[in-house]
Amino acid sequence: MKKQNNGFKIGTIVLFLGLTLYYLFPTIQWNLEQRHMNSMTEAERLQYESENRVKLQELRENALSLGLDLQGGMYVTLEVGTAQLVSELAGDFADESLEEIIDVARERSFEQGTDFIDEFVAEFESRDPDAMLSRYFRSDAAEITRRSTNEEITAYLQEQQAAAVDRAMEIIRSRVDRFGVTEPSILQQGSNRIVVELPGVDDEQRVRDLLRGTARLEFRLTPEAEEINTTKEQFADYFGNLLEEQEQDTTASDSAEVNTNEDEIPNLLEVFDLRGTNQYSFGYAAETDTATVNEWLAKEEVQEMIPRNMDLLWGAQPFATDSGLELYEMIAVRDQIELTGDVISEARVAFDPATNVPEVSMNMDSEGARRWARITGANIGKPVAIVLDGFVYSYPTVRSKINNGRSSISGLGGQAEASDLVNILMSGALPAPLDIIEERTVGASLGEASIQAGLYSIIFGLTVVALFMIIYYRTGGGIADLALIVNIIFILGILAAFQATLTLPGIAGIVLTIGMAVDANVLIFDRIREEMRGGKTLRAAIDNGYSNAMSAIVDANVTTFFVGIILYSFGVGPIKGFAVTLMAGIVASLFSAIVITRVIVDYLTRDKAAKVNFG
Amino acid sequence: MRWFETPNFDFIRMHNIAYFFSGALVVASIIAILTLGLNYGIDFRGGQEFVFEFEEPVNVIELRSELTEPLGSVPEIKLFGSEREILIRVDTEQDIAQTRDLILSEFSSLYPGNEVTIEKTDLVGPRFAEDLKVGALYSIIFALAVVFIYIFIRFKGWYYSAGAIVALAHDVLIVLGIFTVMAQFATFDVSINQAIIAALLTIVGYSLNDTVVVFDRIRENSIVYKTMEFTSMVNKSLNDTLSRTVITSVTTLFVVSVLFIFGGEVLKGFAFALVLGVILGTYSSLFIASSLVVELEKRAMKAKEK
Repeated sequence: MKKQNNGFKIGTIVLFLGLTLYYLFPTIQWNLEQRHMNSMTEAERLQYESENRVKLQELRENALSLGLDLQGGMYVTLEVGTAQLVSELAGDFADESLEEIIDVARERSFEQGTDFIDEFVAEFESRDPDAMLSRYFRSDAAEITRRSTNEEITAYLQEQQAAAVDRAMEIIRSRVDRFGVTEPSILQQGSNRIVVELPGVDDEQRVRDLLRGTARLEFRLTPEAEEINTTKEQFADYFGNLLEEQEQDTTASDSAEVNTNEDEIPNLLEVFDLRGTNQYSFGYAAETDTATVNEWLAKEEVQEMIPRNMDLLWGAQPFATDSGLELYEMIAVRDQIELTGDVISEARVAFDPATNVPEVSMNMDSEGARRWARITGANIGKPVAIVLDGFVYSYPTVRSKINNGRSSISGLGGQAEASDLVNILMSGALPAPLDIIEERTVGASLGEASIQAGLYSIIFGLTVVALFMIIYYRTGGGIADLALIVNIIFILGILAAFQATLTLPGIAGIVLTIGMAVDANVLIFDRIREEMRGGKTLRAAIDNGYSNAMSAIVDANVTTFFVGIILYSFGVGPIKGFAVTLMAGIVASLFSAIVITRVIVDYLTRDKAAKVNFG
Repeated sequence: MRWFETPNFDFIRMHNIAYFFSGALVVASIIAILTLGLNYGIDFRGGQEFVFEFEEPVNVIELRSELTEPLGSVPEIKLFGSEREILIRVDTEQDIAQTRDLILSEFSSLYPGNEVTIEKTDLVGPRFAEDLKVGALYSIIFALAVVFIYIFIRFKGWYYSAGAIVALAHDVLIVLGIFTVMAQFATFDVSINQAIIAALLTIVGYSLNDTVVVFDRIRENSIVYKTMEFTSMVNKSLNDTLSRTVITSVTTLFVVSVLFIFGGEVLKGFAFALVLGVILGTYSSLFIASSLVVELEKRAMKAKEK
């Protein structure tokens, strides 16, 4: 009976050890390969990599992966802007009262951490219980008509939100793939958040732009020169008057203190030159002053001076004056959008043959090409503004009708910007804006330092605990130490099997497990000593020791395991890694402390006369 | 080697001293938390945080005053492990790239020639921070609730659950109190962030481990020594398990101290919380949890007799 029992135990130990080694094998091999590759020269390494690409790829995928905090990289949580999505879904039906409700709901969901759509519907219904949401939303595809109930529309909005998140995930995945990151991870979190993990990325700004980039490409015409001039004159009059009033105020009051009122922004004419560089340019300002200009333009009385069908947009790139000052131009364009980026079927980086400056060359689909031909044909000799995300990139003058649907974006910051723009244009437009609500980056050097620190802690902690156990429990301690080492291997095996990532808190979890894993053995060995003090033989004491300690071990570990589950479900990123190692540690240490040590102790006492020293 | 082989301490009789000592610590912690406020880190407060590494040591106080004006508020600046590494925390809504460029340009004018690299940046939006805070609070409450229910089921007595929960809350509160006070002068980062919450939950798990082992002994002894008075039996159980409690505490304290000393700057606060937790957890299991069980049991019996 007894023998059979141990046979089963030995069987499971062998099975688990086998499984662990199976799962850890790729990790070991991957590390050996890396060591091997690091010893090569750059050229050798590249050749070796290309020769063994498939094998290396497979190894890397199956190896125990390190968290971003250990290997360096970027971690971003994005939130899909549901408010804007709802506003866009309402489209032309949207009126001031709807925008107001959206604003209130956005504010409230932000403050209270509630779902935006719930707040939106609640606010809508609280204003007028009889009001129908169907006034604002229509969709043939979702069968939302004028007769749809508010519940149906709520469900429709939620569906649209889910669809927007799905679409955004897809787009981000394709952008990240094109960007070329090894082992990126893109996961949905909650109803409207997306977590993107990018190991080894060091150009954060580029990634930020890439993830958020909406690439709303628009082709717009420009107003007539007279129209622009009339508006400029109005501006000059209005701000000229303001300036005069200001001067009178200043001379009237104490002239020593000119700018006492800090809230007052400087007059537009002080920071903005209305002359412009050509007839379509509305004016220009230094970069530091653009915020002031925007502030003025947002004012209602200023907005009223601008004709309804005219928009004033900043240029994307500054131009330099002779004195080296960098100035941003403001360009007047029509508010009507002639053509959008939807018609772009292909985009690629090209170089201007004359200047060799990178630009993006685009092809349109047949429908787009037809409209493009019509627009260019009707506006020969006039400029067409190419607007991207609200900035004018260029406004070339149309020389002739363009029939082949070709167009290009120039005025870009460099080749990286050009290739990212191609990426964004090709992956499609995001259905709703994305906000970065969390961003963490860790440099590779800090990651390496963390790995070192973690390794030292494991080795040092293990040594101290192991020595202590041997000193205190003698042979028993030695057995527990053996179990402890197997335990650590098991933890790594479990992590590899579940494809978990090893993070710095995860390493801390392993170190902590080293201290706590011996607990089960301490309970058992103390019990054995106690039984022996009570006069039992060694064999009987061992039997009783193991069985009597069991309930305490189980209860103590089950509760800690619960804590691990809670930690896992609430924690994000590296903390999840800690919870995983904590739980893996509990399972592994129970197995090694109860089963493995028992088999060894039984083996050592197989002979009735044998002695095992428990200190 | 044998420690506490057949100890015979009267833990329960010491409960008045323990209650006084713990009560004073808990009250002091609560006062500290209420007056100074929990020192929330970036995870729960939001904002931006950077860790820079310089080639040459820099002066933190000088940096703080130099950076206040361009950043528009007094930044939190601390050394991060060595004299050459600093952590800067800023409350701002502006773009993180802008903040970084601003700080870097200040650096280059302040310390020309002192090369600087960015080791770590964190940005947490205010709304997200709020979510994390709520999540952390729930997780601690949820953990305590689960513990209460599990112990109630396993030990069939609400006073066991109550004793354990009070001891755990005691541990968590005092750790938070010490962290709050230490925020005033600590040389390493003791702000309350997600890692500290993880540490608190681990402390809950660890302290509970100790408590449960004692409870288990009480359960066992109450079967073996049916006639023994409850107080003496609890005391006997505490003594029976004392050697195990001490040994496990010692090994665990070893490893968390190792983590604190060698685990690197990122883990300093986390490991420190664990060091405190192991000490407090051991103490509360020995002196608080079981004494409370005895007290509550007595009261329950008296109520029954009436």
